[in-house]
Amino acid sequence: MIPHRDEHLDLCAGFVLDVLDASDRAALEAHLAEGCPTCQAEIERLSAGVWLMAAGAPRHRAPAAMKSRVMAAVQATQAEARTPLRSRPAAEERAPIPRPKRRVNPLAWALAAGLLVASAILVWRAVDDLSARLTATRSQVALLREQLEEERRWISLLEAPQARVVQLAPTPDGSPTLVARLIYDPATRRAVAVCEHFSPPTGKDYQLWAISAAGPTSLGLLRADASGRAIVRLRDAGDPKTLAAFAVSLEREGGSPSSHAPAGPVVMVGKLGG
Amino acid sequence: MTDPDRDRICVDRMNAGDARGLEELYDRHNDLLYSLILRIVGRVAETEEVLQETWLQAWSKAATYDASRGAVGAWLVTLARSRAIDRVRSLGSRRRAATAAAANPPPRSEDASVGAVQNQLQERVATALASLAPPQREVLELAYFQGLSQSEIAARLATPLGTVKSWTRQGLLRLRQLVPEEEWT
Repeated sequence: MIPHRDEHLDLCAGFVLDVLDASDRAALEAHLAEGCPTCQAEIERLSAGVWLMAAGAPRHRAPAAMKSRVMAAVQATQAEARTPLRSRPAAEERAPIPRPKRRVNPLAWALAAGLLVASAILVWRAVDDLSARLTATRSQVALLREQLEEERRWISLLEAPQARVVQLAPTPDGSPTLVARLIYDPATRRAVAVCEHFSPPTGKDYQLWAISAAGPTSLGLLRADASGRAIVRLRDAGDPKTLAAFAVSLEREGGSPSSHAPAGPVVMVGKLGG
Repeated sequence: MTDPDRDRICVDRMNAGDARGLEELYDRHNDLLYSLILRIVGRVAETEEVLQETWLQAWSKAATYDASRGAVGAWLVTLARSRAIDRVRSLGSRRRAATAAAANPPPRSEDASVGAVQNQLQERVATALASLAPPQREVLELAYFQGLSQSEIAARLATPLGTVKSWTRQGLLRLRQLVPEEEWT
């Protein structure tokens, strides 16, 4: 909190004239940001004084022709704004923005015209290039947005109150060191499997299965990193109405030939609790 | 409906892409803007350029006008003054010195006297300014027409910064007091 001081009132005058030094401006703006009614009222009073400074300038009438020049310039920008970026003509084809006339020698005109054409070509190329880059950037942004959305969906799975955690236990056929856990959201049918010590014997792969009333369905291979850890995301782990359990089998490399029956021994099982 | 109300409607029309909104504002405010810019830059050719830039800026930045921060006329004046001061600053040092010399008293060049017109408010303000203590008037003119920062003004007038700050405020308040509100339009 910066309490109001009389010095602030003097700063208000420099503020409305926009002539404060940077440090004074920062100090006053910080004070105003806290909402000082005294300074606000002072700024309003002083603003009238600033308006009078402008009104006190000796009065002259602008040349009558200025109005049509200004309006033509405005219309030129209007037309430009309406034309889509891709289909805009090169600068030399556009209606020139009228400017007050000055005497310029013909050589200067020729030079200027040459420069204009050259710069128009450069501008046109740049616009084309920028336009292509813009399209590429837009698709990249869309892709990233989609990826971000996807990540959000996975994170929300971990936080969903209705999500169920299925702890898989090794069967007599499986190594007792195997650890696997599934987080399954019945609302979205998504699941994340987290596995540890999942380094299969050479030439073998672990395969995950959803077991429902109709039988097993493959959910894919569980391939671990060098440390034996595997985290697998499943977009559709099965219908919550019929899903009963998850299981892991040890298959030959590449998995079971059938996606509805394990070929190797079942090494882990976990029932889906209520 | 008062002029300030009409002005606000004009800005709404400009925001909707209707150039007639700008045309109406032009008719009401152009002479004031022209006079202000001429007072700052001192030459007709540059004044016309700055004036045209000001209107184009008003057109393209109409959406930035904030009615809670003042009337449309004051907004236009702010745009014009700021562009004119930028123009003077961008000129070479020789020209800058010449403009500074010409700025006080106001430019009396052949250029600046072309198209001079009588205006009651202007005369009232000029009289009020003339009645201020000379240092107060000078501080206001250096600030408003040349856009010098307060420390630049202090250095220019060899006066303590604190004094410049208080003269600025006193000057503006005195001006406001000398020209009654009913005469402001």
